[in-house]
Amino acid sequence: MRVMVFHPKDADGELLAQQLERIGCQVITMWPPLLELPDTVDVVFCAVRPDHAAVRPPWIDGDPPVPVIAVINYENPTVVDAVLRLGAKAVLISPLRSAGILSSLAMAKHQDAELRELRRRNARLEQKLLSTNQINAAKAILARTRNVSGDEAYRIIREQAMSKRTTTEEIARAIMHADSVLSHTPRASR
Amino acid sequence: MANTDPIRVGVLFSRSGATSSVEYSQLLGTRFAIQQINDAGGIDGRELAATHYDPECLPQNYRLMAERLVQDDRIQVIFGCYMSSSRKAVMPVVEKSQRLLMYPTLYEGFEFSPNIIYAGAAPNQNSAQLADYMTRHFGRRVYFVGSDYIYPYESNRVMSDFILGHPGGAKLAERYVRLDAHERDFVSIVRDIKERQPDFIFSTVVGKGTRMLYQAYADAGLDPAKMPIASLTTCEVEVSEMGRRIAAGHITAAPYFQAVDSHCNHDCLQHFLRLYGDEVQPNMCWEAAYFQVHMFARAMQQSGSDEIGRLLPHLLGSEFDAPQGRVRIDPVTHHTRLYPRVGRVDEDGRFVIVAESKIGIDADPYLVHHAANEWSIRSVALGEVSA
Repeated sequence: MRVMVFHPKDADGELLAQQLERIGCQVITMWPPLLELPDTVDVVFCAVRPDHAAVRPPWIDGDPPVPVIAVINYENPTVVDAVLRLGAKAVLISPLRSAGILSSLAMAKHQDAELRELRRRNARLEQKLLSTNQINAAKAILARTRNVSGDEAYRIIREQAMSKRTTTEEIARAIMHADSVLSHTPRASR
Repeated sequence: MANTDPIRVGVLFSRSGATSSVEYSQLLGTRFAIQQINDAGGIDGRELAATHYDPECLPQNYRLMAERLVQDDRIQVIFGCYMSSSRKAVMPVVEKSQRLLMYPTLYEGFEFSPNIIYAGAAPNQNSAQLADYMTRHFGRRVYFVGSDYIYPYESNRVMSDFILGHPGGAKLAERYVRLDAHERDFVSIVRDIKERQPDFIFSTVVGKGTRMLYQAYADAGLDPAKMPIASLTTCEVEVSEMGRRIAAGHITAAPYFQAVDSHCNHDCLQHFLRLYGDEVQPNMCWEAAYFQVHMFARAMQQSGSDEIGRLLPHLLGSEFDAPQGRVRIDPVTHHTRLYPRVGRVDEDGRFVIVAESKIGIDADPYLVHHAANEWSIRSVALGEVSA
């Protein structure tokens, strides 16, 4: 596993790098954090040192592309907030011990993978819900305007999609759009 | 056979660097207490002796010198540290080697170590009272300026919470300057202050930058009667550095000022003056450094040992009549019951106490009990009584 350690070169930084190597990781240590994370990194350990003078790497605010484990030396809300904003999936506190690094790594990877999977499913479900709503709306429009049943309406939509080589969602949206255009009545003067 | 060897204790305060002025006062407060203890016969007939190293305000030096005290000098108890970064540097050393650090300085809270005693104010013992006093007397539109490290960030966060909790509360700006700031760094900030016209300025600038901020404020012609600087750290040391003309009218919240009106304080100051003259100006950090040594000595008198396992049970829960009042070390938090006060600098450059708590307030380092009305301050002078 390729691990990037963003930590000052001190006792904690050295202990962390050594322990990671002990458990079989390839480690690169640098400080301050890079502005962009390299593609070839699997996990990041990052020292969280609130510093108003420093430039904030863009990946620090919210959604890092790889699991991040925060290393902190204070537990006050300023630091804890910074950890949460970073999107860290585990946290270690200074002074570091060799014990705890492996489990944090495992936990962070697991949490990160689970969260990504949940987000992916969530996005798919939301999309599905949206499609279902659109198709139902289109079915209702067809039922009203063509005086057909719901099942017949859905058959029509599917046929259109196949013949036009597009998705049922596209057809549904087209039907909704057409309906809104066609049912627009200009303001009658009284 | 009785042990007549001196009891050696470690002392870590800086003689040079950004915060050396106040740390030197803590060094002398420590030495003063040791002198008094020895004059009274020492601890069980044994002389108390300080081994002092000067870390020059560099956190890495605090760590190295703490290690030297522990490993080479075989010290059990260390009195020291001002900035949070220095305390953080010493913490792993005392925890790993099972020694004790007695830390006599206000800080940002949210900490506990089994190997540290905290004798300075936590935010519920100074920030809360300052916020209460300033919002009642000046208003709620606040300009924040501080030194660039964790203590000001977190203090500003706590103060923001207090301020914004009031209707009409507003944080107009939040500016940070480096610890080794120059005069010119403050010019643009003060210009911005003048434009935005806050009700007061909350300053967490520490060390040498303090004088520069107050100087820039005075140079800009701003009026402390209308828009004072309110601080948790500006004490008699910084006031003497900047001079009375620049200091007058500004406000600080602290458990101790020289003006504390008690026999204990008057006697203490007289004695200190006799021994040290005007070498340093007694202040809140000096006072904490002073009383913590006495509390250590009392505890060791009872325990017969300065080894932490035997000493701590006598130290925790112990009380002492300090110059600020009767203080107590809380066994659960390792923090100290203190007497919050608010002081304003008068025309003669002396702090006048404008509000004070008659009862001791225990530290709440994790801000578990957060209701503003739990802290009551009694105003002194002209019959003013607080809510």
